[in-house]
Amino acid sequence: MTWSRWRAGLVNIAAVSLLLVAVSFLPPDTSLRDVQRSGVLKVCVPPTFPPLVTGNATDPGFDVELVQHIADSLGLRLALNPLAAMGSDFNPRNWLLTRAQCDMIAGGLADTLQNRGFLQMLPTGVETGWVVVSRGGTLPAAGATVAVLPATSGFARVALSSWLRGRGWQVQRAANPAALLESVADDQASIGITERFLISTGDAAERGLSVAWLTEEGFARNQMALGLWKGDQTLWRAVNGVVDAMKADGSLEALRHRYGLSGGLDDAPEP
Amino acid sequence: MSRILPLLRGVYGIWLREILRATRDRGQMIGGVSRPLVWLLIMGVGLNPYFRGEVFGEVRYVVPYTYLQFLFPAVIVLNIMYTSIQFAVSVIWDREFGFLREVLVSPMPRPLILLGKVLGGSTAATLHGAIVLILARFADVTLTPDQVVMALGAMFALSFGLTCFGVLLASRIRSFEGFGVFSNTIILPLYFTSSSIFPLDPALSRTQMAATYPEWLVFMVQINPITYAVDLLRGILINFNQFPPAYGPAVIAAMAIGFFLLALVDFGRSK
Repeated sequence: MTWSRWRAGLVNIAAVSLLLVAVSFLPPDTSLRDVQRSGVLKVCVPPTFPPLVTGNATDPGFDVELVQHIADSLGLRLALNPLAAMGSDFNPRNWLLTRAQCDMIAGGLADTLQNRGFLQMLPTGVETGWVVVSRGGTLPAAGATVAVLPATSGFARVALSSWLRGRGWQVQRAANPAALLESVADDQASIGITERFLISTGDAAERGLSVAWLTEEGFARNQMALGLWKGDQTLWRAVNGVVDAMKADGSLEALRHRYGLSGGLDDAPEP
Repeated sequence: MSRILPLLRGVYGIWLREILRATRDRGQMIGGVSRPLVWLLIMGVGLNPYFRGEVFGEVRYVVPYTYLQFLFPAVIVLNIMYTSIQFAVSVIWDREFGFLREVLVSPMPRPLILLGKVLGGSTAATLHGAIVLILARFADVTLTPDQVVMALGAMFALSFGLTCFGVLLASRIRSFEGFGVFSNTIILPLYFTSSSIFPLDPALSRTQMAATYPEWLVFMVQINPITYAVDLLRGILINFNQFPPAYGPAVIAAMAIGFFLLALVDFGRSK
């Protein structure tokens, strides 16, 4: 009796649910189909951003090997498009990256809220964030001079600027990683602050400097990521499927390990 | 206890009648499935190219989600709004055909009769909201069990408030025809001015927002209670809030309590 009372209603619910389940498998856009038709996966990268993009033929970089694997898995030919503008300006609009140039962006993008406003991010498990370069491993007192090399796109520069002002430090802008290291090594600045990978090729250790995460509140660490154009859902799903498979079979971790990206840094202690 | 049980049985009976009627009504079920299909599948996919990224860094659609993900929680709210407010048709029907009079002369207290009807309407509306969750895969919204439970709770609270609002409308409208016109003049404006299909960028200042949209539209969005219901579901389902997260639960709770009390006053006057 109870079943007969509910039968008509349950049949209706089952029918509409089945319809919606069927509909949920429809492709929401043509991005994957377009790439498959052309047979080429175009990826924009900076000329170098070690160890993600090295410019070296034998060890081309973590991101380059990753996108190569993605292209191979999707049956596509990888076309790398190195662009000097990438990373050269803090405003990504000035990088002039368009759909015509690339289906995907790699080599130096962090999975931050700022970048997610423009792109769909696919985190690669490689950690980045603001780091402190120092001689003694501690943050200086108010009034000290601090060298800052702003990170490329995606980091909260305004938050960093406010924090630096709040600390009462004198900010000295460094032109490049070498200049930042030199400032700290020569005691022109008490510490240096920059992004992890900007400083990764420098000779910090040789100069007796330590590199540690900036652990202040509001400076959460982010993962590096591949960027796909917002709205390219089907392509994103396909690429995400390949990355998930790499995570499952351990090949992504092996790749990270090969480029020395498995481990992290120490935290910068308070004075 | 012996007095309470028959009353609870009465509430259950009224609730069950509403649920069976709602789930057996094929027209209502078709409406419940056609709205998500039209709004998410056709409109979402149709407009998606206009919200896609074309140039990295270009400020065009700054919400850190795709248009389909942004639209998804709003479509749930739309389905709930239609089902809840149109629940008033059942009240008018019962009044026209004498069922309500029979119930009103029963020993059941009127607040419990109203509670049974409103709970029935709310459950049906929550069901209509919940079936949209089936399309989460299509919109690329990843759902965890926690998110589903929280979303169902929010949907039920919203359904309760809106069903009470529907009862209030029913007590002021005398015909089915009048209600059809009236409900559309309420539901659609409330939906369109709830930031459901266009974002108010939380990163913009009030002055910047007024430069993007006319100030009267920003004002209408901000005074619309549905705005905060949509925002609450966005917070739960895609972890994105345009307003302080506490506003959503507060507005929905105020709606549920306020409209129930008003409906109680109106229902008490029924003859």
